[in-house]
This record gives sequence, C-alpha cells and structure tokens, in this order.
Amino acid sequence: MQKYALLVTSVLKPYSSLLFLNNKYVGLLLILITFTNPSVGLSGVFGVLFTILFAELIEFKESYLAQGFYIYNSLLVGMGIGFLFSPSLISIALIAMASAFTFMLSFMLNRLFSTYKIPILSLPFSIVTMFIYLASLKYSNLLSTLINNSTLYDIQLPLIISGFLKSFGTIFFLPTNIAGALILLLVLYFSRILFVMAVSGYYFGITIHSYLIGSYEQALYDPYAFNYILVAVALCGVFLLPTWKNYILALIGVAISVMLTDAIAILFSYYSIPVFTLPFNITVIVFIFILSITYYKEFNLEIKSTPEESLSNYLSRIFRFGKTYVKLSLPFSGEWSVYQAFDDTWTHKGEYKYAYDFVKIKEGKTYANEGLYATDYYAFGESILSPVSGHVIAARHDLVDNIIGEVDRVNNWGNYIIIKSDSGFFVEISHLMQYSLTLKVGDYVETNAIIAKCGNSGYSPEPHIHIQAQYLGVLGGFTQEFCFSEYVQEDRLLFNSVPKKSELINAVIKDRSISSRLHFILDDVFEYEVYENEKFQESVVFRVKMNTYSQFYLEDEAGNELYFYNDTKQFYFYNYKGGESHLKWLFKLAPRIPFVSMYKIHFVDYLPVYLVKSKLKSSLIEFLATLNQNVYRQERSYYFDGKCINSVYGEVCLAPTNKALTLISYNKTQLRRKL
Amino acid sequence: MSKLTYEKPTINKIDFAMASKYGSPIHTQKIRTEIDGISVNELTQKFGSPIFVFSEKKMEELYNNLYSAFSSRYPDVQFGWSYKTNYLNEICKVFHRLGSCAEVVSEFEYQKARALGIEGKDIIFNGPYKPYADLKIAVEEGAKIHVDNLFELDDLEKIATELEIVIPLAIRINMDIGVYPQWSRFGFNYENGDAYEAIERMYASKRMKLVGIHSHIGTFMLDANAYRNATTKIMQLKEQVERDFNSEIAYIDLGGGFASKSNLKGVYQSTDVVIPTPDDYAEAITNVIYDLNKSEKLPKLYLETGRALIDEAGYLLTSVHGYKRFPDGKKGYILDAGVNLLYTSTWYNFTIETDRHYEGENEPSLLNGPLCMNIDIIEENISLPPLNRGTVLSISPVGAYNYTQAMQFIRYKPAAVLIDRDGNARCIKEVDDLATVNYKEV
Repeated sequence: MQKYALLVTSVLKPYSSLLFLNNKYVGLLLILITFTNPSVGLSGVFGVLFTILFAELIEFKESYLAQGFYIYNSLLVGMGIGFLFSPSLISIALIAMASAFTFMLSFMLNRLFSTYKIPILSLPFSIVTMFIYLASLKYSNLLSTLINNSTLYDIQLPLIISGFLKSFGTIFFLPTNIAGALILLLVLYFSRILFVMAVSGYYFGITIHSYLIGSYEQALYDPYAFNYILVAVALCGVFLLPTWKNYILALIGVAISVMLTDAIAILFSYYSIPVFTLPFNITVIVFIFILSITYYKEFNLEIKSTPEESLSNYLSRIFRFGKTYVKLSLPFSGEWSVYQAFDDTWTHKGEYKYAYDFVKIKEGKTYANEGLYATDYYAFGESILSPVSGHVIAARHDLVDNIIGEVDRVNNWGNYIIIKSDSGFFVEISHLMQYSLTLKVGDYVETNAIIAKCGNSGYSPEPHIHIQAQYLGVLGGFTQEFCFSEYVQEDRLLFNSVPKKSELINAVIKDRSISSRLHFILDDVFEYEVYENEKFQESVVFRVKMNTYSQFYLEDEAGNELYFYNDTKQFYFYNYKGGESHLKWLFKLAPRIPFVSMYKIHFVDYLPVYLVKSKLKSSLIEFLATLNQNVYRQERSYYFDGKCINSVYGEVCLAPTNKALTLISYNKTQLRRKL
Repeated sequence: MSKLTYEKPTINKIDFAMASKYGSPIHTQKIRTEIDGISVNELTQKFGSPIFVFSEKKMEELYNNLYSAFSSRYPDVQFGWSYKTNYLNEICKVFHRLGSCAEVVSEFEYQKARALGIEGKDIIFNGPYKPYADLKIAVEEGAKIHVDNLFELDDLEKIATELEIVIPLAIRINMDIGVYPQWSRFGFNYENGDAYEAIERMYASKRMKLVGIHSHIGTFMLDANAYRNATTKIMQLKEQVERDFNSEIAYIDLGGGFASKSNLKGVYQSTDVVIPTPDDYAEAITNVIYDLNKSEKLPKLYLETGRALIDEAGYLLTSVHGYKRFPDGKKGYILDAGVNLLYTSTWYNFTIETDRHYEGENEPSLLNGPLCMNIDIIEENISLPPLNRGTVLSISPVGAYNYTQAMQFIRYKPAAVLIDRDGNARCIKEVDDLATVNYKEV
C-alpha cells in the first residue's frame, strides 16, 4: 500500500515541480489540465512511468524519486514528444528511450552541478529534446503521426492577455489560453508571489523584445516567451528570496533571456529544433552560479514548497536567530564594559574593525587605588571563557604582562589563543596573562570553559580582553563580522546582538540543569492532565519523534507536530505543522527557553506569522513582506525567572529537577504534567 | 618652620629595578587613605587604635561574585557561613542576610548560631569533637550533622534509640585528590573503604540514614582541579550508596578552602596570577556533578566558604608608637598591634599601606608589635619611607581568622568596626577592659 502511495507521489510531484511548487494536489490538477491535449497528457504520464520503471530496474533509492526531482525532466521530454507526435507504438518506444536517457542525464548533471551549488533546472530536457528533434527529421515512420497543435481550444481574448496565457500553457506544451488560464489560477491559489513574478516577467520581456524587434504584436506571438516567465519566477522567489533587490535582478535576467531566446532561435531554426527552455536554463544557471559563489545575502538557502514559505522561513530565521552564523558567547562571566566596539577610535579599524575590547568597571573606574599596577585593574586575573566550541589551533603565553604605561610594540597581539569553531570560523583572543593558558594547541574546548586569565601582554595599555572573529586561523588575520549570541543588559536578555561602546553587559553562563531538563529523547512520552477552569477534562500525551531529516518534534494524538531544537545555549521551537492544538499554544507560550537561571529577565522573540494570524491574513502578510520585511515581524515579550516563562499568552513552567515542562497554561486551560 | 629633628646618618641602597624608560610608573609607597570613604585616621581617632575594620560592601561583593559563579551554573546552591572564620555577631548577620546558613564546628559555635536566631535545620554541625549532650540537642533541633568518626556514630545511634527516631545524617569523607599533604585527619577515608563501612554501619543500625556527603579537602587551595577530583569521588560514592541502600543523597557539601587574594609566603607571583577565580572553582565542581549525576534529581550543593568571602573585607589599623635604629642600620617601628592580633602572619605576607604620602627615601624597615616578645614581628623587611609617631598603617587582608584567633595576651583584645553599605562606620565590638578579662575568674 505504502509503495503505491509512494508511486502516486512520484508521478504527481514532477508536475508541480514544473511550476516550482512542491505539492501533490497541484500535481494532480496539472495532470488533468495536460489531458486537454490527450496526446501531451498521455505522453507525459508515459514519460514519468517509464522513468520510474527504469529507476526500479537499476534499483534506484525510492526516497530520491519521491522528491520528483529526477523525474520532471523526463516528464517534459515525454510531453515534448507527445506534442510533436500523436501516441503510437513507435512514439511510445521513443518516449521510453528518451525517458531513461533523460533520467540518467539528470542524475549525472546534478552530480556535476551540485559541486558548484547550481541547479540543473530543465537543462537535461533541453539537451534530450534537441537530440530527439534532430533525429526525428530522419524518422519518416514517425513523421506520419506528426500532429498540428496550432489552434486547439482557444477562446477569444485580446492578444495582450491571450499571449500571456498561451505562453503560460506552453510550459506544459499546451499553447492554448484556456490551459494557460487554468494553470495561472492554480499558481495564484498557491502563491501570489509566483503569480506576480510570472506577470511582471512576461510583460517586461515582451516590452524589451518589442522594442528590439519593433513590433509589439510579433513579440506577443513569440512561442518562446514563456522563458521570461520562468526566469522571473526562478530568480525572484525560488532560488533567490522574493525581495525588492531580487525583483530587479529578475528583470535583468528576463532582459538577458530575451536576447538569448532570439539568438538560439536563429541558430536552431536551421535544424528545425524548437528553442524550448534553453534560454531560461542558461540565464538562471549563470545567475545562480555567480550569486552562490559570492555568498549573495538574499540567496534562498532553504527552498520551501512556495516562495511565500521560503520567505517566511527566512524572515523567521533572521528575526529569531540573526543574520550571521558567526556567533560568539561572551568570553567572560559577570559584568563587563565595552572599551572598544566595532570600527572604533583606536585600534579597531579597517580590516581589523570587527573586534571587541572589554574591561571591568566599578564606580566608573577600571582600577582600584591609583591604577599604577596591573594588579590594580579589576579585569586583571579574571577568567577568560571560551566563546565557542572548537579546537585550539594556535596559542602563545610566554610574554610578560606589561607594566602600566608600557606596551609591547613587537608582539602587539601579546599572549593569544586562536580557536577554530565548530561552525568553521576562527576566534582570536589577545592579551592573556602570562602562563595562564589552560589549554594547548590541538585541544578541544567547549563554549564557556575557562581557557586563560585576562592579562596585559602585547599592545595593551591596561588589562583587557580583546576578541575578534577571523576568516583565517592565522595571527593577525583579517576580521569578520560577528555577533554575541546572548548577553544580559539591565534586565533584558538580548540575542544575536552587539553592545555599543561603554555599555555594561552581563555574560550568560549556561545552566546545564535547564538544558538537561529539556533534553528530550526519541520516544520520550510526556503525559498531561488537561484542566479547564480548574475542572479535569482529559489526559493528553506528547511523544518525541524524529522525521527523515533527523528533525525532532513533539507529536500529540491528533498528529500535530511541533519541531524543537536543543541548542548549546537555548531550547527553541521552530516549526509547527497542524491545526489548533495545545502544541500550537506551547510554541506561542515558550518559543524559546534560554539556559539562564541566575537573572530574572525579559526577552523578545518573533513568532512565525502562521502561528498568530488567520490563514488569509498570513498570506497577505507573507505577500506584503516582499515589499517590507518588517510587516512579518511578530514581536512578543517574555519574562523568564529561571522557572517559568510568562507572556500575554500565559505561562509555562519547568520543574526544579524533573524532565520536561510541568505546567502549560493559557486562557482557562491548564496542562499539568502527570508523573 | 619648625626645627628639623636630628637623625643619625645611615647609608641605604636605593632600588631602581622597577623603573622603565618612561621613568618609574611604580609608586614606591603603598597608600591607603580611606576604607569605603572613611579616612583611616578618622577611624582610629573615633574608635581607637589598633582596630579591626570590616567593609560590608566588600563582603557583599565577594559573596555575590562567588555565589553567582555557582548559581549561574547550578540551580541549587547553598552557602554556609563558616563561623570559625569570623564569628563576630554582626559579621555572621551580614552573611545570614545574604542567604548563608550556618556552619559550626563546636557546641560554642552552635550556641552562637542559635542565639543569632538560626534554626537547627539551617545549621551544619561539623568537626571531630561533638560532646554528647550538645550532639543530642543538635539532633533534637534537626541540625545537619556531619559525622566524623565511629564513636560519634555510636553516640548518634544511642541518641536515636533514646529519641526513637531515624536520624538523617551526612558523612564527612577524606580522600586523595592529588594535593599533598592530604587532609586525612577528618572524617572517613574514601579510598580504603572506611567511608563505605561507616555508611553500612549506619544502615545496619536502622536508626540512621545517609542524606549528604561532605568533604573539605584543605585550605587555601590554589588548584581548582583538586575540587574536580573531590567532586568526582563524592559523586561516585553518592551513586554507590544510592544504588546499594536504595536511598536518596539529597545534598553534597564541598566544604571550603577557596583561596582569597592574600599573599602566601613563598609564593612570589601576584595573587591575580595564582589564585583561581570563582569561575574556576564553580566550573570544576558543577561540571563534574552534571557529568556524573546518575539519579533523577540533582543534589543540592553546599559550600562552606569562609576565607574567600571575608578576608579581603577586613583591615587592621594600627598606629606607629615609635621607632628606633638597630645596630645593623635597619629601622624598627613599634606598632600598637602585633602577632597577638595577626595569627595568620606566620603564613601570609600582608599588604601594608600608609595613611598618606611621606617624603623621603624608602628604607628597609622592621615592623614590631607591642608585645614584649622577640617573635612579635609583623614584617621583617619592608621598604618604607620615614614614618612619624601616630602614622596609621592599614594591614590587609585580615578579615579571615585573625579576629577569631586574636589572643588576649599582654594587651586587651581590640575593638571592631563595621562600615555598612551606606558607608557609615559603627562599633560592633568594644575594646576589652579589665572586667572582661577578670570575668569568671574566681
């Protein structure tokens, strides 16, 4: 049974992939639409089925197929053959051959391309159909089945609209405005962003083309204008995030594809080969190649099933977890003051601007007495804590601590340590106290572990901690922008921020007990008793589960899923699938639980829009977020005293010693942990 | 202008060693004009000399620093104020106000804690000598008794039978933690199985059960790793006991011994270099608990830190009574405080500061106390400018042990002053007089 379900998915997914959507119902509707031209519809299905059969034959892993990723090119090839020849034994045999070849070509190209993080798009289809069309010139047996598709079921519409719809239909080898309109409605229903991009891409391309060739009408009749649609959608929404900047990029891409389409058309027409999607493939591949290699910021790193979802996922991530992955913990404990911040007065300049200096201050001074001895300084001798988990790759600790008033101009970094973090970047800390290092090169160190003491070696006018992130693990390497993952300022806990000069900040030391209480293991079961208005209602059970991507989630009996992650510094929820439920409330009540118990703190978090708004409002907000990302910002305040998290939604509490949350309380509902 | 007093000429070596090419940034005189904003001269004028001065602000700071180093890493930490370190009532009150319970090692200290309003359950009763009658009172009042030896276990069994109760107990253990000399005099040894046998003995009697494990590995521990080792062994024993006797060890007690920023004689680096920070100690202990805890619950963690919480908050102010020139040319000052008040001067080099800047070259000087004893030397060889009669010297850090161990010998025990959080000084103990000394003499 499961195998059939998988087969159905494998057949349906490729159809929706053609529209950059990932939804089997879209696939089903699209299959139906393709049957408006039975030859195309049938041949497409044959293409997919033959591919699956071939994949079975070579014992290809099923999970690959379920993605629909390696099949949509075969689907296109199948439809392409069906578009040219009406189904016959010979044409079906041709489809079988071509599908198998396309499938292998897809796999091979993907392997090669993935090294450079570029997608194959429909390049395999373009190549294979090129061969088929070339070869078919000789196949007189086949030519007898050649069909004329020119005027199939069209309705009377102004050319300017009809042209667009026809182009849309052509993506599925259905160059009729009815098919186009149906597909367009489908797109509109699932993604407004795709719809807008399709419209703007098309008309922008047509405008450019018409200026170049001098005829608006001729441009509208161009059978390959669908390339503009595909380029626009791919560059602003699918591979790049739907933002203003990418909108402009997409239009530039469309303009380029106009020129490519004409050029290729001239060349190909000698051999009667249709251009199909080649211009789209070339344009998008070139864009993605350069943008991915240069770490373009608005790249869509996690492609979700619609551009809306991708954007929503991206915005949630940057609001909640910051834009940079270079995150450090503070290298000390207790309260310190910023002496130099990024791009500051004295030494944090140019390539070395991303660095911080910290000193300890009491009553406005960094020292006791007159500050004439290094030992008078409050910072001197304080423990330095590792800001990351990683390996020590370089260190020195034999230099003497300067007398106050002297600096070491030769060894200006003083005693130092360089740690290669587990995330790949490097952290350098300078001016360590002589012989205070507790580690040696090669050692592994955990975040917050004590590594040395604050000293006054190197170019240091007074004892302080200098910290910077670097691209390379060499002393004096250029600095890289970073942020501090957590710190406390007054009574607020800030995430992924950088303090300003002279600000007093408190380090957060991880309370491992909170982390261990939230250390959920696969198949842990937590039972709760539900009370409404203090009256017992029912018992519910949350079970810890894991999906195929190794993502953990809590699942209730109704099958709602709440995804969580136990980071080194905090526990957080990041995704919810399902309807209204206690789990959905739990996400809102405690989107994250920091492992901090010593302070009573306020913090803010940003909830995903789908959690707090109705479906209609969510889609509106997601659409508007392309214009102004701030509309997506659903800021909520939380208060955490080490035991309970309070917010406008209610309260959740941790038990002092037991695992999991003991109380989940919202409105008049209370879930009490049953032990 | 008054006439200069005649002084016998001497030749002194002048030390330029610390001067750099920018001149000498190191001031050659250590000066302390005030404590928490009150001038040292004002303090001696108002409260007499010599006098112990304690800063409540500094005590709070030390307490909070150490406590937050632990509480930020561990959810259930309790400090017990070590009475023997300094049991002046007002000092104890400060620590109780900050959240400490009491840690006592004798019936006298126990009574003192009770008199300060501390309930039995908030008193940890330690020490090798617990008189039967007082032990019984402590049991009745629910004190946390940390058993030191088998005789005490017998006593406790007898008390339990008399009272018809099961006494929850903690056991003091000693062990090899890699620091020598090993403190093996107190409690039961872990490695040779004495500790485990004593616990078996407890459960065999059915009158006692184990709820806590305590160790105190030494004093002025300069290596935080020693605590790592101690905690490891405590956690191992805890697991063993919980498994074998199906019991719950509710708390572990790592004792004290954290170093203060005092200069141990024979250690030549700065205290900042050699003294572990609160973070060092906290990390060592809590990480081991997390790594080795096998039971559902984390044990409550007790610490009985004394020195690290009070030493740097205490000063002894003493005045120059006179000086003389010894035959070897060294200058000798006679002070009104001596080793009778500075018991710890045997082990520590104190910081000695003058009340203002004095003109003249530094010269090697000897600081003598008021006792008519040859050993009454506070500093053998200290570089000081010429001081006058009446100059007030601040000796620090002396908050730990010096007051409690100060002797009434030759002179009266001095007064003590506490400067509170608002910077107001008040006398918390007056200077003794003949009546105090004669009291109870028959």
